[in-house]
Amino acid sequence: MRRPAPNPEELARFDVPSEPGNERLAMARVTAAVEGAGLTEDQLERLRTAVAEATMNGIEHGNDGRADVPVEVVVLRDEDAVVVTVTDLGGARQRGNAAESPDIEAKLAGLQRPRGWGLFLIEHMVDEVADTTEGDRHTVRLVIRHTEWSDGGGFDGRRR
Amino acid sequence: MAGDADVVVRDLAGTMVLELHGVVDRGVADQLTKAYEQGRADAPARVVLDFSDTEYINSSGIALIVSILGRARSEGLNVAAFGLSDHYRHIFDITRLSDFIDVCPDLDTALMAPGQRR
Repeated sequence: MRRPAPNPEELARFDVPSEPGNERLAMARVTAAVEGAGLTEDQLERLRTAVAEATMNGIEHGNDGRADVPVEVVVLRDEDAVVVTVTDLGGARQRGNAAESPDIEAKLAGLQRPRGWGLFLIEHMVDEVADTTEGDRHTVRLVIRHTEWSDGGGFDGRRR
Repeated sequence: MAGDADVVVRDLAGTMVLELHGVVDRGVADQLTKAYEQGRADAPARVVLDFSDTEYINSSGIALIVSILGRARSEGLNVAAFGLSDHYRHIFDITRLSDFIDVCPDLDTALMAPGQRR
């Protein structure tokens, strides 16, 4: 496979209305956009799950489910990774602290609510995740690195 | 985006089999609860979750599975699953669902008593 050019290439840019279930629309469009981008099947599945969860968070927690407020998705391919940004207009928000990390034993014991897996899934699906806020724009950046181009830095295809 | 989902309950030799078709997200919460309650009426010995026709599970779907697992455990029912793709099997591992649900390779194995499964 030929190594891509060093400058990021925009593979797709689109909005989805903030309506329940539209995370699957975002997931499908990202899937189409990264076709031929060199991801393994496992990487693609992990990216799809991360994109869906980030978009769902944007719809529900960022834009409060207001259908007229879009979630923007941008798909980029740079020198050694596929990068997807998911932006809502909900501004800054607090991330869950360590005490709120999902613990299945606590959930089964009724000490935590059954929900609360979204951020956990995102963090375990991609190689890097970061969020930034500029005014109302809150962006989650998801990175999947091309393993075949890695320099042996320890990534083995699954985040540990 | 409309949910393409369905939950079907079957009784197979005293085991409640819940087939989760299509999308497993919050949209199937009522269907799953009703199917479980319908299955309970047959006094099953255990529960099997059939993911062989599941296309997508999100974090809300994971929460639903946790809820059903918790309810089954509280009622003394072992829970097994089969039909998971490699990706969702990985998710069952990292969420530790697989510590509490026997993830089996096929229906026949899932229908076995817990001590007989390989």
